Amino acid sequence: MQSVVKSPGSQISVGLSPLRKFWQRFIGFLFPLETDTWLAVLRSGLGLQVIGYALFLRSDWHYLFASSGKGLVGREVGEAITAFDSPLIPTFGWLVALGRNLNMSEEAVLTVAWVALLSAGCLLLLGLFCRPAAIVAWFVHLCAAESGGLLAYGADAFMTTALFYLMLSPLPDRYSFDRWVTKAKPKNPQLLGFWRRVLQMHLCFVYFIGGLAKFLGNGWWDGSNLWRSLIRPPFTVVPPDVLVRFKYALPVLGISICLLEVSYPIFIWFKKTRLVWLVCILAMHAAIGLMMGLYLFALVMIVMNLAAFGVPSTDRKARATSATTDQ
Amino acid sequence: MYSKRIHVAWFGIHFFLLTAVCLAGVFWLIAQGSTILPSAWDEYARKGELGATWCLAKEAGPSNPVRRSIATYLHTAGIQAGYTFFAPNVPSQHRLTLELLYEDGRAEYESPHVRGKTAALRLESLLDRLSEERYEPVREVLVKMLAFSVWREHPGVKKVRATFGAVNPPGMNEFEQGKTETFQPMFSFDFSLRDDQK
Repeated sequence: MQSVVKSPGSQISVGLSPLRKFWQRFIGFLFPLETDTWLAVLRSGLGLQVIGYALFLRSDWHYLFASSGKGLVGREVGEAITAFDSPLIPTFGWLVALGRNLNMSEEAVLTVAWVALLSAGCLLLLGLFCRPAAIVAWFVHLCAAESGGLLAYGADAFMTTALFYLMLSPLPDRYSFDRWVTKAKPKNPQLLGFWRRVLQMHLCFVYFIGGLAKFLGNGWWDGSNLWRSLIRPPFTVVPPDVLVRFKYALPVLGISICLLEVSYPIFIWFKKTRLVWLVCILAMHAAIGLMMGLYLFALVMIVMNLAAFGVPSTDRKARATSATTDQ
Repeated sequence: MYSKRIHVAWFGIHFFLLTAVCLAGVFWLIAQGSTILPSAWDEYARKGELGATWCLAKEAGPSNPVRRSIATYLHTAGIQAGYTFFAPNVPSQHRLTLELLYEDGRAEYESPHVRGKTAALRLESLLDRLSEERYEPVREVLVKMLAFSVWREHPGVKKVRATFGAVNPPGMNEFEQGKTETFQPMFSFDFSLRDDQK
């Protein structure tokens, strides 16, 4: 049996059954050789995101997550809805119950949670204690997202997902303080490649489904959805009388957004079209951030896209790293 | 090799669940009849949605361990909801107006509020959810809590009338003709504070 080795992750064997060939190709696709540059982008970007999240919510943190009678709606309703799905999903209720055993008030527990979240964000940005920081950031953010489930919006789901992937990825990366301090060996390039693939595939799902669902609405074809979304409080950053001057451009923009999203899973993979699609998607998110005031949503999407497709695949460097880690 | 197999197995399960969640979301939109697809598709979409939710074990009882395990995983990975934001169409904005009635017959109008802009976005999210049918069982409780959050700042208030409704913005052409948004009330509640709550 002859075999031609293309790369450690993708053996294409001659004379194997089609199913086996497919399997090996699939494994090769799932475990490409990668350096950890993309992980550094994801880590530091999410560090910034977590810091922004904590700071933006600073003044309302207790008001949003306090129990009934002290806050806006009280976190009990959100927690009850979450518990109906599964009582194993973490919420602030867990932390408050734990704090009660330590004679801590609810207010103190919420303050500690906020400080922990902000600290985890700073540590992620610097690359210090990367793994514990990623776990803490994911856990506290998840508690906030679930306790305030009724108050959550798109950015929360993406933050949970991005932190979930970061927590499982092979940290620390070479640009982190951790690596500098511990002088640890570079991580397995195939594993780095796997987690990048996961992020890439996830974004393909996000845009394809988002684009498809938008295509099914008549308002995206005539521009009225763009109009409605841009004049909808509290997203009104551009005054309607300025916006109405571009009324003939809105249908074209609306259809372009749908096309851009639905075709993302195809054109983002081709080297020739990748840069165009990436730039367009990044521009779209930047515009959403600036024109609708959805800064956190825009930032998390930009970070995920940059980490997934913005950092070039450095196969040669990764092979060199692979050789070092294999020794 | 063993580690690779574990990773591949996780990848398969993770993206299978994500596909089911996304499809359930899209089928739900079609089944609601809110898309440009012909109404004949609604029935198929309903069946498709059932199939997708079956894969997520949502048809099982609430205490079913498989259902709970899947739900826990979906929430911890942040993939419990599909990615159908602002689709198929941008929903109407919703408003909750609180009429604060004092003992001397005076009336003031207020809305629930927060300090920061990010939190204001979250409040908008909550108001949009109140209009959804699936939140109907908790609607009154939530409105009461929102009313109570404002009541705390106005201790002299005897009664609160909460009116919830959709704000329909003008279209582009209507806006050019000088039309403004319209308010369409959906429901209202009257609350009075008992002495022991004061």
